[in-house]
Amino acid sequence: MKEKINANLKSLKFVFNKNKSYVLPSVLILVSILLFFQFVIPEFSLLFKTQEEVSALKAKTELLKENLNMLTNIDQDTLDSQYNTMILALPVNKDYIEILNTVNVAAQKAGVSLGNYSFKVGSLGKSDSADISPLIKLTVPIESGLTGANSFVQIINNTVPLSQIDAVNVVDTSSSITLSFYYKLLDTSNYSQDALISPVSQEGLNLIDQMKEFKAASSFSMPVIPTATASAVKQVGAEF
Amino acid sequence: MSTDINLLLRTDEESLRQKKRIKILNLVAIGSLIVVGIISITIFILIQVVNPSSAKKEQQDVLEKISQFQDRQSKLYVLNNRIENVGDILKIRRNISKTMSELLAKIPAEVSVNSLIIDDKSVTISGEAKSLSPIADLIDNLSDMVYKKEIIKSLTLSSLALNTDGSAFEITVKSDL
Repeated sequence: MKEKINANLKSLKFVFNKNKSYVLPSVLILVSILLFFQFVIPEFSLLFKTQEEVSALKAKTELLKENLNMLTNIDQDTLDSQYNTMILALPVNKDYIEILNTVNVAAQKAGVSLGNYSFKVGSLGKSDSADISPLIKLTVPIESGLTGANSFVQIINNTVPLSQIDAVNVVDTSSSITLSFYYKLLDTSNYSQDALISPVSQEGLNLIDQMKEFKAASSFSMPVIPTATASAVKQVGAEF
Repeated sequence: MSTDINLLLRTDEESLRQKKRIKILNLVAIGSLIVVGIISITIFILIQVVNPSSAKKEQQDVLEKISQFQDRQSKLYVLNNRIENVGDILKIRRNISKTMSELLAKIPAEVSVNSLIIDDKSVTISGEAKSLSPIADLIDNLSDMVYKKEIIKSLTLSSLALNTDGSAFEITVKSDL
């Protein structure tokens, strides 16, 4: 048995001696293959990843450059004017002062006297409903007949803040108008600094012009603290 | 015949072939190491070349410039947001003022309106006139509006009466909007 083992060892030695010149290059080739899979392929992946990262960075930088160019070329005064008009048309909070102001101005312009009225503002910090357009409802009594009520309705329909006339009730020389004033909290969830800043569209400019006319209709408006304006900018500014 | 010459010759040939194989194998081994090394160095250099730090710096510079216009950016965002919402509101807003003005335009001057009730679903008009002719005109005008599908969808004559002292005819009509 021992002899047999010796014979096998001898055979192995013989085989090894005969082929030992192949061992070193074979090991080197194996090492090369191992190195290829262990280092070269991961380096390729890293290279592609880096290239993708650079491409994404360049794309974002281009977009930011476009935004910068757009922001640089905006006329500050025009923007302020457009902003103030639209924020007055649709306040970002329950602008009850402006509502009272608008109702009084409409009554003055219509030449009618208002009776006592009140409305429930509710929470000032948040919207009362998740609707597209939450509303503040109020019923305004008018000491006037059909002509005065009609005049009041026509005027208030074309003033800002935007409102909707829900009902008109005229009986002889007294009337009551049920109104809903719109407001909308600013939704900043869709805001992204990486997004392309769009200039105001032509449709938007037409809308601003329409709202400017509505604003002009409230020209008797007494000066009102622009609480909505300040809070809107502050709200978005906080997102930067 | 112990011409092992042939065998010796064979051995030499075999030895030469083996040496040749070993030589090729050695070349392949060294070549593969060199190739792997070159590829590795090349990729390393490429990674250094496409280093994103310069792109990051450029982006940072642009962001710093944009931050100077933060107020404009905020206002523009709010402005576009308000435009979108105001557009939506104007589309869905009920226009009772138009309903009211168009209905009043259809009421003859001789008819005195005692009451007008308009809500989002219906309108009720009560009035009086000294003769039936203007009342008939009123009904004709309103019927015409229903026929042309202007503002009102239906017309119901709720009442038509002569008042107690017989001086005027009183009418009440109701329409669905």
